[in-house]
Amino acid sequence: MIRRKLRPGVIGGAVILYLALIGMVEAFEDRFIISNVIGLGTTLVLVTLIGTGYLASKPAEEHHDPPALAGLVTGAFAGLFIAVCVVILEAMLSAGIQVRNVFVSVTPGLLNVLEFGAGKILGPILLVIVGAALGAAAGALRTLAVEWRGAIVYGLSMVLGISLAEPLLVGVIDGLSIPSDWLYDAARGGLTVTGTIITLVAAGVGRWFWLRKRDTVVQFRAHMPDDRRRKYSRVAAGVIIGVLVALPWIVGTFISDVLGTVGLYVLLGLGLNIVVGYAGLLDLGYVAFFAVGAYATGVLTSTASFLVTSNRDQFAAHGFLNFWVALPVVVVIAVIIGAAIGAPVLRLRGDYLAIVTLGFGEIIRTLVLSDWLAPYLGGAQGLLRVPPAPPNSWNLRDPRNLYYLIMAFGLIGALVAYRLKDSRVGRAWAAMREDEDVAEAMGVSVVRYKLLAFAIGAGVGSLGGVFFAAKIGSIFPNSFSLLVSINVLSVIILGGIGSIPGVVIGAFVLVGLPEFLREFGEFRLLIYGAILVGIMILRPEGLIPNKRRLRELHVADQEAQMGELVTEEPA
Amino acid sequence: MSHLLELGGISKRFGGVQAVDDVDFHADLGEIVGVIGPNGAGKTTLFNIVTGFYRPDSGSIHFDGHNLVGFKPNQVARVGIARTFQAVRLFANMTVIENAMVGQHTRTKSGVFGAILNSRRTTAEERRIVDSAINALAFFGDSLTPRLNQLASELAYADRRRLEIARAMATEPKLLLLDEPAAGMNPAEKDGLIELISRLRDEKGYAIVLIEHDMPVIKGVCDRVAALDYGSKIAEGTYDEVAANRQVIEAYLGKAASEAQS
Amino acid sequence: MNAAPSPSGSTRRIPFERLPVRRIILVALSLAIIYGVVAGSAATLRLGQFTGANWRQLVINGVARGSVYALIAIGYTLVYGVLFMINFAHGEVFTSGTYAAYFVAVGFAGSGFLNTHPLVSIAILLVISMTVSMVVAIVLERLAYRPLRGAPRLVPLITAIGASLFLQYTMRGLFGANVRSYPEIDVLQGTWNIFGTEILRKQAIVIVSALVLWIVLYLVVAKTRTGRSMRAVGEDREIAALMGIDVDRTIVATFAIGGALAGAAGILFVFVFNQVIFIMGFLPGLKAFTAAVLGGIGSISGAAVGGLVLGILEAVGPNLFLTGAAVPSPNQLQPVVAFGILVLVLIFLPGGFFGAAGDERA
Repeated sequence: MIRRKLRPGVIGGAVILYLALIGMVEAFEDRFIISNVIGLGTTLVLVTLIGTGYLASKPAEEHHDPPALAGLVTGAFAGLFIAVCVVILEAMLSAGIQVRNVFVSVTPGLLNVLEFGAGKILGPILLVIVGAALGAAAGALRTLAVEWRGAIVYGLSMVLGISLAEPLLVGVIDGLSIPSDWLYDAARGGLTVTGTIITLVAAGVGRWFWLRKRDTVVQFRAHMPDDRRRKYSRVAAGVIIGVLVALPWIVGTFISDVLGTVGLYVLLGLGLNIVVGYAGLLDLGYVAFFAVGAYATGVLTSTASFLVTSNRDQFAAHGFLNFWVALPVVVVIAVIIGAAIGAPVLRLRGDYLAIVTLGFGEIIRTLVLSDWLAPYLGGAQGLLRVPPAPPNSWNLRDPRNLYYLIMAFGLIGALVAYRLKDSRVGRAWAAMREDEDVAEAMGVSVVRYKLLAFAIGAGVGSLGGVFFAAKIGSIFPNSFSLLVSINVLSVIILGGIGSIPGVVIGAFVLVGLPEFLREFGEFRLLIYGAILVGIMILRPEGLIPNKRRLRELHVADQEAQMGELVTEEPA
Repeated sequence: MSHLLELGGISKRFGGVQAVDDVDFHADLGEIVGVIGPNGAGKTTLFNIVTGFYRPDSGSIHFDGHNLVGFKPNQVARVGIARTFQAVRLFANMTVIENAMVGQHTRTKSGVFGAILNSRRTTAEERRIVDSAINALAFFGDSLTPRLNQLASELAYADRRRLEIARAMATEPKLLLLDEPAAGMNPAEKDGLIELISRLRDEKGYAIVLIEHDMPVIKGVCDRVAALDYGSKIAEGTYDEVAANRQVIEAYLGKAASEAQS
Repeated sequence: MNAAPSPSGSTRRIPFERLPVRRIILVALSLAIIYGVVAGSAATLRLGQFTGANWRQLVINGVARGSVYALIAIGYTLVYGVLFMINFAHGEVFTSGTYAAYFVAVGFAGSGFLNTHPLVSIAILLVISMTVSMVVAIVLERLAYRPLRGAPRLVPLITAIGASLFLQYTMRGLFGANVRSYPEIDVLQGTWNIFGTEILRKQAIVIVSALVLWIVLYLVVAKTRTGRSMRAVGEDREIAALMGIDVDRTIVATFAIGGALAGAAGILFVFVFNQVIFIMGFLPGLKAFTAAVLGGIGSISGAAVGGLVLGILEAVGPNLFLTGAAVPSPNQLQPVVAFGILVLVLIFLPGGFFGAAGDERA
């Protein structure tokens, strides 16, 4: 058994080494999870050890290893692996070898964290012990009854979660005029010890009861008569909308600003969802429409635009058009451009279409950055002074007002997407996705419907650009890179392709969370990448799957399995 | 007199292969015409040409007053030609009723704005689409109607063939092109197919052109048969005439067999 | 627009059923672009801003870059030919080998080895770069792509994008965000006089090395068993398996070869541009993929030709087409030229230069 656990142990240790070498461990340690007690970096190490122990103690059919023991051995190996690495690195540092020239994150600070602050002799020993202990605990978890296991895991997760959510929750709690110093240590950050205990107990107990009573609740819901259920849904929807409306007043300007950005990505996500999710077109250049929307708004409404002044430093009295008038104009322009771009390329096969749309995105970015178009679009210096609406109506620079505007359009967008999905148009798209040739033979003009999806996507994307311009007040080319396209794509993938609630969740997770987890900033794209790969391998239908897509994605798996039966070599 | 469907001198070459060679063909409402020939004779290619998937190198296609050369497949569907495929190609992840509803696409109009605004015209049209789809499915008795909300991929094989035909019927065609509908069926199912095709002609009045390898089916249902080999038409007439034709026998069974016949 | 009424009795004439609207627009578009290119070029040449030597130098620049793109492009095309997926993370495969070799190069430079034994050093750097890139490519296939063999096309594409991001930022975390400069090799400084033209030694080496590698690769794919397996798997995976070909091993070999070429391309890239940074793979990767598509994805000759064409057009194009049209800083618009060409080629030749033109549709 010991030999079998060597590999998972080494893998666990290697993960810790990886996290250390890329700098996560040390960077995160600056943030306290529990004030003055434990930092995020150490937590990362501990969580990895626990995870390793848990996964390795999974009961397998052939061997019946007691889980606690399996966990202990694996955890010990993981701890040993990283302990050896620490010893080696310490030795190298003492010998004067400039490890930092290659691996920039190997600092004494890092090593200190890994040693739990116990120095270079005691530290590694501690690592092995802690590894073994946590591994054993993780393994032991498996032997507990469902309610206890769930309660412990949930309680610990909530401690972590509530601690990380500090920037968000502090704002909310203070906004409701409730004191928060029992929960968070305002000075040093992180949960207070009291707060930790309260969270742990409350979450754990709550979960315990939920797991006990879950079946009854589920039964209750299943047996509810339809009209009662509809009433509950309507009440729930009403509550959600009420909360959404009241939100800016509770949480304050900073969070409203963040919510505005989230809303922006929801809008963009809905648009791209139509292109990718409904019509099945691989579009990697969505940022192009975003840029068109932003720049068109800028040119039409800015007081520094070439349309109203010949000297960029001399601002005109008004922009060329009023913001509200410009809005539909911009959308129409974007739709036309979308159709123009789409027409020649939409008949290309999937991968080719992806690279061509990516190319368009890059072309647009290059053009808005170029000196050639700088007299019209501002070039590298950007376009300034995109005004909010005129003084006697809404001031759009106030994040709260902008939030309402974005939310309103977001809801409209969701409604549009919802209505389209089950309509004749939506059916045509679904048929196209299934089998283009047959759809065409049934009378669906594939070209026309692809173009339609593309144009709608362009319009919605441009709306995002309009609000972006209004939000920030000036438009710089840097904001329109491939990364935006990838962001939006990630949002809909994570949430579930073709799923409207999925887009919302995806936006909250991928765009909202990073705002509150500042430490993750440097590693944001790393995590994005990992999430994308993970989701595709583990759960390609996303968090909130669209039922039809779920089938489409897993039928292929089944076919692949059948194929493998044919090609497997005899044992 | 002019026919509903009239092909004149259709030829098509792919690289080195002359897939279709100067073929004339015609069909009328209420007629069932069979197309036979060994594999690779160009039968499905002919269907693909008529339905707009390939453009003929030369020749003319006239249907109901339209010149079909250059039409795209969706335009062909719009003028009233529907088809099924050699390997059943359903929209696997859509339900039975949804598959049939797609068939109604050409006969309906509501677009983006109607869908978004949920206008009264759109909802009325949706209802009509559902009704037409159900009607088309009802033609097949009990096989499809009880399974409206089942996924197409979950159906039994014979039902999938039926669904494909139902979907084609939902396009309200004048001409129905069936590509090897009997493939994979057992004798009982084939009898049912013969009855089905006859009903399609009698109750719906379609013109039907049928590619088949199964001779009893052809014999049982076709008014006229055309035989193709290496892209050209080698015989046409009633089943008995064509079956006795020496070139046809040679095409299927080789020279020796036709000599043994005489 | 083209609606016929519901009852199947009457038929109405479908307007525009004959007019090839799309074809008219495309022809008009292409004429406009041809005119623009020709007029711009004529104007530039009339201006006389560039001498013949200038143009020659630009062309050579283009060929050098193009050679690098070609090598990377072959990696894309090989993987696509076998798996029908775009390995978006190929750019990062390219970067990883280059980084590894960088650290060794710095070590060599420190001890002076680099300049006393330049050929041996370069050989070692090449081997290291190719090996590391190969390993990264193989790991990538095993962890990220193999679990997704049967999935619909969107899934591996997304995974590849995710893997690309992940690798890029891993390298950033490991090695930092600073630009690193490769140490200079004295022997490679300066120019050679070939056929009366001064060519930078570095460029000459790049071009020749790329050519050699390309020939070796071509022979491998055409003559060896592995090459044959690769082509077989690309044609029909199931049949190849039934013929006794180990599909998994072939795919690994494909990634390995593509990776090794990318590693080599990395060293050549560094000869030209001298710098290493974690995002260095992104733009060349994209351009190389463009080149592969240009040439007809799945075709090795296509990738090579596409790479060269792209390189030359990149180097010469903006200067040639745009200077005459009074466009300031034309070289800023390089991506526009590159992608513009891609779009045009794909519109008129959907399969690229060497790709299959596809079925003839009405």
